[in-house]
Amino acid sequence: MTKEDVQGATEEEQQAQSKKALKKQQKEAEKAAKKAEKQAKQAAEQQSTEEDDFAKDRYGVSAMVQSQQKLDRTLVRVQDLTAEKADQLIWLRARVHTSRAKGKQCFLVLRQQQFNVQALVAVGDRASKQMVKFAANITKESIVDVEAAVRKVEQKIESCSQQDVELHIERIFVISQAEARLPLQLEDAVRPDGDGEEEGRATVNQDTKLDNRVIDLRTTTSQAIFRLQSGVCQLFRDTLTQKGFVEIQTPKIISAASEGGANVFTVSYFKTSAYLAQSPQLYKQMCICADFDKVFCVGPVFRAEDSNTHRHLTEFVGLDIEMAFNYHYHEVIDSITDTMVQIFKGLRDNFQTEIQTVNKQFPSEPFKFLEPTLRLEYTEAVAMLHEAGVEMGDEDDLSTPNEKLLGRLVKEKYDTDFYVLDKYPLAVRPFYTMPDPNNPKYSNSYDMFMRGEEILSGAQRIHDAQLLTDRATHHQIDLEKIKAYIDSFRYGAPPHGGGGIGLERVCMLYLGLHNVRQTSMFPRDPKRLTP
Amino acid sequence: MPMYQNGEVDSAVKALEARQDEIMRKLYELKAAVEGLAKTVTTPDADLDLTVSSSLSSQSSCFKGTTDLDMQLGKDIGALRDIVINANPTQPPLTLLVLHSLLCQRYRVLSTVHVHSSVSGVPPQLLSCLGPRHADSYARHMFQLGFTLIWKDVPKLQMKFSVQNMCPIEGEASVARFLFKLLAPYPSDPAVATLVDSWVDTAFFQLAEGSAKERAAVLRALNSALGRTPWLSGSEFTLADVACYCCVLRSGSASAAPANVQRWIKSCENLGHFSPAKLLLQ
Repeated sequence: MTKEDVQGATEEEQQAQSKKALKKQQKEAEKAAKKAEKQAKQAAEQQSTEEDDFAKDRYGVSAMVQSQQKLDRTLVRVQDLTAEKADQLIWLRARVHTSRAKGKQCFLVLRQQQFNVQALVAVGDRASKQMVKFAANITKESIVDVEAAVRKVEQKIESCSQQDVELHIERIFVISQAEARLPLQLEDAVRPDGDGEEEGRATVNQDTKLDNRVIDLRTTTSQAIFRLQSGVCQLFRDTLTQKGFVEIQTPKIISAASEGGANVFTVSYFKTSAYLAQSPQLYKQMCICADFDKVFCVGPVFRAEDSNTHRHLTEFVGLDIEMAFNYHYHEVIDSITDTMVQIFKGLRDNFQTEIQTVNKQFPSEPFKFLEPTLRLEYTEAVAMLHEAGVEMGDEDDLSTPNEKLLGRLVKEKYDTDFYVLDKYPLAVRPFYTMPDPNNPKYSNSYDMFMRGEEILSGAQRIHDAQLLTDRATHHQIDLEKIKAYIDSFRYGAPPHGGGGIGLERVCMLYLGLHNVRQTSMFPRDPKRLTP
Repeated sequence: MPMYQNGEVDSAVKALEARQDEIMRKLYELKAAVEGLAKTVTTPDADLDLTVSSSLSSQSSCFKGTTDLDMQLGKDIGALRDIVINANPTQPPLTLLVLHSLLCQRYRVLSTVHVHSSVSGVPPQLLSCLGPRHADSYARHMFQLGFTLIWKDVPKLQMKFSVQNMCPIEGEASVARFLFKLLAPYPSDPAVATLVDSWVDTAFFQLAEGSAKERAAVLRALNSALGRTPWLSGSEFTLADVACYCCVLRSGSASAAPANVQRWIKSCENLGHFSPAKLLLQ
């Protein structure tokens, strides 16, 4: 009504004014009127909610947890919500994975790590209309405390990990509110590659995932990968400890590069410079000379190689083994391969859920292995490659494509993803590798492969100071620089051998993933230093 | 008479000891000869009008024929020729174990047993079924032939040899034929060769997998064949005997077999090739 009145007045009284000014005035008046109307409405609404909402102390944003009180309240874990808990009233803390409001109801999916459950707020004697509205407006990824009754469902809830029950929410409080806009959606991050294209839905590329690693790590796939990785470490430690190994800690800041100086990081160290360790090799061997007999070490290893490939990182976790043996270095191979087989078996038997979760996003064949582990000699490998039409010299090193081809040939014949290649040519190994007594062209060294990619490189080391000096000279290494290393063998050193494995590579290849960054929590490569 | 004079043994005592040694040696020879004779009495060849020596030579020639690995398996590749056999632990391939021990007598064989990740809880006697580890097993290049037995969840026994040129060979019978050819050439007479093949088929399809009725029929057929000739395919021990013996053993019908079959079973056992298979069934 007011609009029309104003309009009429302006037309009559101020026809002289320009049309533009007229329009402007008109609009302003309109706006003001609308605003007043809205405010009045809102005020009325607020009043009504305050008056009507019988459930107003059953929801809300709770005060920041500053440890004001120690509630005697048990929070149930989402994975424990099974049919056995039906009809109980429980409290739990979880994230809001998704919420979907539908009239007088609001469905929430509450997530805790890789488990989730469906929850429901419905208008009734426990929840008011306002409470449902509040629940629907909680932003994704917020953390909430919920009191709810567990109810059995007639039809299984296929989209959740807890399929037999749902929660009927009676109270809901926001403990930590997430910002409304997420840098990436969790559903997009776990979508298998093929699916996204078919349905025209978004997938998240690797770099976005890594830039927002904290959110990406919440996905079921990441949760499974890193739980499995923790399992690998645990199984590695348990198996070796059982075999009588001692865990050692070695320094990572070292004074001289152990294997050539090209690929080490230099750090400034007070008035001089130092290097970041490429491997605990020297220290492992010194421990052997110091009568520790069998040692292992789990720790960071640094490589300053400027290679941007799917399997290189500049910092990774090395699982290193070194042991003294009695007569033959195959004692060492047997010990290492048995450890690996125990790890594979442990993963196969105890981490089946995690493996399947990862498989949903990154499908791959199950990892196959033999017990005892298959051992082939280098000459056999060369013969197999020759037979497949590859031209290479008997003493050439295996190129990466040939390594992969060999992996396929071995898989074809023996059906194993894990094998040892023994007796490498001496020329392609480092100076401390023990030569083969029967054929000086070969050496007592070995590599281990998973799905056709090298995971471990090891050898019997030279424990004789004289021979070590000769070999170092042959490799044209400055004897002054490795004096301390050679000296440690002068006072009686047992024959020994060992090897080092990259934790990230083992996880990547066990799960059949394609990029080592997927199995590194905060990967470091030549182009990435954050997060 | 003093036994020792100036630390020297008396020559008379020496002579006496020499005579005693000679007598002992002759006694051992005699014992060996009698044992050999006893064996050939229960071996069918003895029924033929042949001398003891010729029957022995025919037996040994069977496994020292002019087979040559280069000829059988292609040119020397400068590395171990590894035969891979995937077998299901619920059905241990007795025939192949027998052939394996025969191969070991003939060649330097590197035998290894593995367990594939698809099966678990393989009984210990299956893990040691290829005998103790060879003392030189750390050096693979010192062997002529590799025999790699993998216990694996396979529906049918499978052999892989040259992945590039051969498809995987399926079935215990086919693998047995392949392995036997490394030991001895097949009979040159096509009729006999076919007879051997048909007995092998009978063994695996009717004895091993057949019903009680079929088994009884095969035993009758064996009995009549063994009434005519000492071994299943004539006068020579062949793969037919190996296969049928193992399948009779596995089916557990050895004790209820007719007379000729019983006699043949004894003859087989006298050859001493079947101990690996018998060990596994115990």
